[in-house]
Amino acid sequence: MEGGLPFEVRLTSEGEYILAFNSPLTYDNAGAVWEGLNSLIREDHPSSLVIDLGATPRIDSAGIALLRSIERMCERLGLNLRIESMPPSAGHFLTLIEKKEPPPPEKPHITTSRVITKLGFLALHAWDEVVGFYRFCREFIALSARDLYHTRRFRWNEMLYYLELTGANAMSIVFLLSFLLGMVMAFQAAVQLRQFGANIYVADLLSLALTRELAPVFTAIIIAGRSGSAFAAEIGTMKVNEELDALEVMGFNLAEFITMPKVIALMIAGPLLTMWANFSGIMGGMVVGILTLDLTSYGFMSEIFSVLSVKDIMTGLIKSEIFAMLVGLIGCFRGFETGTGADSVGRQTTSAVVSGIFAIIFADAIFTVIFHSIGW
Amino acid sequence: MQKNAPDSSSDNAAVCLEKISIGYGDNIVLKDIDFCVNRGDIVTVLGGSGCGKSTLLKAIIGLLPPLKGKIYLQGEEISGNVSGMTLAEARKRIGVLFQSAALIGSLTVAENVALPIVEFSKAPRGIIHDIVRLKLEMVKLGGFGEYFPSDLSGGMKKRVGLARAMALDPEILFCDEPSSGLDPVTSAEMDQLLLELNESLGITMVVITHDLPSIMTISDWSIMLDRSVRGIIAKGPPEELENSPDPRVHAFFHRQPAPEG
Repeated sequence: MEGGLPFEVRLTSEGEYILAFNSPLTYDNAGAVWEGLNSLIREDHPSSLVIDLGATPRIDSAGIALLRSIERMCERLGLNLRIESMPPSAGHFLTLIEKKEPPPPEKPHITTSRVITKLGFLALHAWDEVVGFYRFCREFIALSARDLYHTRRFRWNEMLYYLELTGANAMSIVFLLSFLLGMVMAFQAAVQLRQFGANIYVADLLSLALTRELAPVFTAIIIAGRSGSAFAAEIGTMKVNEELDALEVMGFNLAEFITMPKVIALMIAGPLLTMWANFSGIMGGMVVGILTLDLTSYGFMSEIFSVLSVKDIMTGLIKSEIFAMLVGLIGCFRGFETGTGADSVGRQTTSAVVSGIFAIIFADAIFTVIFHSIGW
Repeated sequence: MQKNAPDSSSDNAAVCLEKISIGYGDNIVLKDIDFCVNRGDIVTVLGGSGCGKSTLLKAIIGLLPPLKGKIYLQGEEISGNVSGMTLAEARKRIGVLFQSAALIGSLTVAENVALPIVEFSKAPRGIIHDIVRLKLEMVKLGGFGEYFPSDLSGGMKKRVGLARAMALDPEILFCDEPSSGLDPVTSAEMDQLLLELNESLGITMVVITHDLPSIMTISDWSIMLDRSVRGIIAKGPPEELENSPDPRVHAFFHRQPAPEG
């Protein structure tokens, strides 16, 4: 070795640099050989190179690729290169790699027209999604109407299974989060209302805010995270495994077989969980009221009963019904939109949650306007 | 050329199993499996569905620790309480072609093949493209580097899986049913490819299969497993097994229903 190079360098009287390799040319030293050769060329400026592989015990794929790279470099720099004593098998594999230099990776060229084109494609894609979702919902509503008359067609067992999965199994997390939400709200309200000696109005604020707005929205967001994503992942995996194709070929209507039990279950679970969230949130607020505002549980509940009307509770329940339907439909729609491969399942699952939450907030804004205009 | 019989006492062994038992919890799938694969040989592991062929492969490649017994790769034990490092080092010397090819769907064919090279080798970035090119040419898929796995047929996926398994020039290659789901021509091409790789690179191969033409074409030796005994019922060159007096082996090689009892 010379100067730490992983090969021996000899200079002939004709000015040829002979690089004699007597160690394996493998993955382990390909990097060192490449760097050594580059520095030799940079420092000594040889005009002619001979690579002698006579004493190399082994050449692996990295060694073969390296030899091809050295050939290309010599051609680019105008150096003469001769490879001597190439083992026949390595020579054969060397012919499998093209002599031509691989094209450099394309750099994205950003221009104004390109940005506009991209925006246009995004808009078209968004429009396609809206149209697709509209058709999906239309089919679901039509099938639901039909199954109202032909109840035997409906898959009751499946629906009950999903009702347990999305409703009963979600009760603990809904209770915990709503309880904490009620506590936080009561605390925040208490800080302000205590200054005016209006402690008891914490109950009014809490009950109205929870039943009309927070409980339905909050519960729907939990449902989107728990159930909407699960629907998308389940259907997406079925699509990747060609189970949906099998069902379709057997003559099943996928909307009826897959979507309906899930969405109907969610439409039953949504309002029930919202009622549960109302109860849990009020309990959380009451704990704060009793412990920090010197209120009694009787006083707190009396105030709630005096201020809350059936209309307030119904407002929340109507919202929760629609939110649950949207979350279920979006989860299933995203599942059916899955392409091929596990990555697509992941993307659609994420999308199910994001679109679900967006739809909840958007629908909530519409409901607020509608209820305001009809005086609810 | 007649090769040496796989033998647990061989010093020339690439893979050696010493009385291993494999299972899931209380369910013992295979017990007292004992054989070695000589370097440079192609050994096929045969048997009907559910006899534990794929479970055996999982144990050999370290995905399923054996309940008892020892597994050696090139003389180094990889079963029992070996460190993760030892197992990782041993895995760099092996390549595995999975039954479904197990390609990463979000990566292109070239990126799939480059994955182990980028991750586990010291190869300079500049030559990785050429190594991938070489591997794809070896499996006759030179122009398909930029395709995604979803664009390929089943046979092509298997060949990409083979190129990826070969990426780091493994000394031992394990193939789980390389010809399953392939038409006879593609299946024969796959066999040819395995033979070429074995001859030109001297790679030891352990091939799990129940495809009779493949067994007869590629095997130096075959090992037949059977569910009834949870173990090996026959061992030898495929031509010898084909004429075995054992009714279970005879039924397998002559496509007949399993004998009663």
